[in-house]
Amino acid sequence: MKKLIGKVTEEEKNEIQTFFERRNGLNELAKILTVDNTELYEKLVKDMSETERNFQSWWDKMADKYQWESVDGGSWEINFENCNIMLVMPKKGGEL
Amino acid sequence: MEKIKENSSGWSNGMARNITFIVTKDCQLACKYCYLVGKNSNERMTWEVAKQAIDYILSHEDDFKEESVIWDFIGGEPFLEIDLIDKICDYVKIEMYRRNHHWFNSYRFSFSTNGINYHTESVQNFIKKNIEHLSIGITIDGTKRKHDLNRIWKTADMKKGGGSPEEERGSYDDVARNIPLWLEQFPNAGTKVTISSADIPYIKESVLHLYSLGIHEVNINCVFENVWQEKDDVKFEEQLLELADAIIDGEFYKDYTCSFFNENLGKPLDRKLQNQNWCGAGKMLSIDAAGNFYPCTRFAQYSLRDKRAWMIGNIYDGIDKNKLRPFLVLDRCIQSTLECIECEVAEGCAWCQGENYDSADTSTIYQRSTAICKMHKARVRANNYYWNKLFRKLEFKGIAKKESVDYAKLSNSNNLIC
Amino acid sequence: MLQYLIIQLDNTSTSFCHYSNTKNRPLLITLDNLKNGILFAMKENLMVQYVLPDYELPAEYIEAMESIDNTKIASYQSVYANNADIVVLNGWNKEYLFDKDDVYVLRVDKKELFGKCSEIKEKIKMCRRLNIVITDVETFTDVDFELYRSVLKEFSIALEDSFAADFVAQLNVLTDRMMLDKMNNCNAGCDSITLAPDGRFYVCPAFYYENEYNIGSLVDGLDIKNPQLYRLEYAPICRHCDAYQCKRCIWLNRKTTFEVNTPSHEQCVVSHLERNASRELMMSVRERVEFLSDKEEIKDISYLDPFDLRDEWL
Repeated sequence: MKKLIGKVTEEEKNEIQTFFERRNGLNELAKILTVDNTELYEKLVKDMSETERNFQSWWDKMADKYQWESVDGGSWEINFENCNIMLVMPKKGGEL
Repeated sequence: MEKIKENSSGWSNGMARNITFIVTKDCQLACKYCYLVGKNSNERMTWEVAKQAIDYILSHEDDFKEESVIWDFIGGEPFLEIDLIDKICDYVKIEMYRRNHHWFNSYRFSFSTNGINYHTESVQNFIKKNIEHLSIGITIDGTKRKHDLNRIWKTADMKKGGGSPEEERGSYDDVARNIPLWLEQFPNAGTKVTISSADIPYIKESVLHLYSLGIHEVNINCVFENVWQEKDDVKFEEQLLELADAIIDGEFYKDYTCSFFNENLGKPLDRKLQNQNWCGAGKMLSIDAAGNFYPCTRFAQYSLRDKRAWMIGNIYDGIDKNKLRPFLVLDRCIQSTLECIECEVAEGCAWCQGENYDSADTSTIYQRSTAICKMHKARVRANNYYWNKLFRKLEFKGIAKKESVDYAKLSNSNNLIC
Repeated sequence: MLQYLIIQLDNTSTSFCHYSNTKNRPLLITLDNLKNGILFAMKENLMVQYVLPDYELPAEYIEAMESIDNTKIASYQSVYANNADIVVLNGWNKEYLFDKDDVYVLRVDKKELFGKCSEIKEKIKMCRRLNIVITDVETFTDVDFELYRSVLKEFSIALEDSFAADFVAQLNVLTDRMMLDKMNNCNAGCDSITLAPDGRFYVCPAFYYENEYNIGSLVDGLDIKNPQLYRLEYAPICRHCDAYQCKRCIWLNRKTTFEVNTPSHEQCVVSHLERNASRELMMSVRERVEFLSDKEEIKDISYLDPFDLRDEWL
């Protein structure tokens, strides 16, 4: 179950969307890049951890700014089409 | 609160640069409405040509400033060349990354396929490898009888230039079997349906059939070519009215879309404020097997009946920007007749720059084809009916009209298929 | 509205514009076609411009030609050069003898123009009017644009002196823009059409020599398809432009952009270099003497290709 808990600005959304796209790009690049391509491989590894860090720090920064509701075991999700932030509730026992 | 599902505006809201590789001019099918008059099995893109095209594009970043890119693959049937496509996509990813190209942060690989090879191991491996960056549309025209009316297998005789109606074999079963797998992998995928004269009686059943298959977004439009018979507009309107009733009575509007119905349709257009060209030709780049560049695939020779190809350069000499200037300064009024400019229901009436060129009296893109006029007017009448009926229904259910309109804001009034 | 009928009398009649005459073997228009062309012009109220060959025409042709008021264009080498209203110089030759009352068209490529600039400059004051036609304008590069800017500067110096001395020499690329308040282009297909030796109508002689489409014939009549595209209102770049002296060459448009109504980048930049040089010349002369006081100053602009402003129009 998802619950609408807030909204970010268009600029804030663009920022996280760029990190999101880059992370996806790096992940799919990792599937085809081999270790023998030393130069690119090292760049990729470094880039992946940096992008992950940027990604996480965006959520920390926004959570701090907007003080979004949270629950144990839940997670936040952003809808890139309307900038809405959703709280994804944890599944209860027996729920599929 | 009741909602009306919106048509999607497409990835990157239509602001991405579209780069199309015509990887093959071959196809397993011989669809009767296909505008590709010059299909053949000889012109397949080589890796060398593809690589040089990519190198040219990525090394001219200043000429390709759009934030995003859609690397598009068409044919013929693109998945006939899946090994080449796989190699191209790997190279594109590596090169965008190696060059620190701004597109690495915003790209998609897009395919328009007949779906026949969708389940094969090579296609599936490719999908798994690139799943986060894929947009794949499978063309299924509706019910079996509607689909098989046009989308038939190519026969051995056709390959030799012959073929008879008795030999015709539809492709519905070969496509439909892959729909569940496709929707499992791309739950939000839409399909495109093309309507020609003979398809009109099957519109309603086809759209509903596609909904029943689990396809939530049906992008449907009439062909731009001059194929329409007398009274086709009347039959078309009847079908759309029946479809409108079915969608509203069955409450499909909550979770499904059909691009025939669009609230921003059928109003007059302002000569100055709404004078933009509709078609994106010239803002795209198509590359064929010989390494030639075109402003859109519709300007390659295999797409043209009566005109010479509109080549804008090649992978060796680059883009001749002069050949793009007419596209980039083209506006709506300059290519339209006075009747079109003053039309009371102009909004949403689309055109294809390639078809305009192909059917023009002279070799120009500045003469708009009006073959679709009576069909657009019929669509507008049915569309008006649809929204009046839907809003009335929602009003009775206690949802104020204004609120419904807010829900129904459709993001792209020209959600049509090229 | 159509005003002029150009009659290309022979395949070898000189080019007077950007195109090259690609047909080397003589083919004289038939006498019937010539007479029918003149009849057409009379009925349509058109002024006739004959483009003459270098060789002598049969007497019956001359007789027919003089049955209507006309203008004659001939090459410097033609036997008709002395009687021509416009004399065409194909390439530069410093031995050319100019007549102070005559109008000349000098057809030169960029190499010759840049290389012989100082020789050409001296001749400007020796004729009533000199029209320079650059025959390879579509090949201009950024370096050529700069060289052309310098050439225009050189010509301006010569003209400025003559204006100060009260002799108004005319050089199309510099003086036309000063006199104009609106577009004054070639207007082929709109103001003028061409009758070729094959008896067919063409937008201009270039369309005949380059094996482009015809627009009818004396037998079937004139049939211009998409006629609006030859008019200024239907030229998406030119209708916003104030390089009024630009030829807006329909054939070069067709050759370089595939569209008769859309000019190339090179044509636009060259015309704007001329426009801006005209502006500077006009200002310089006005500092010395009263000059064209009924004409407005040409505005200072920041672009050389109006195409760059397209987002403001759309």
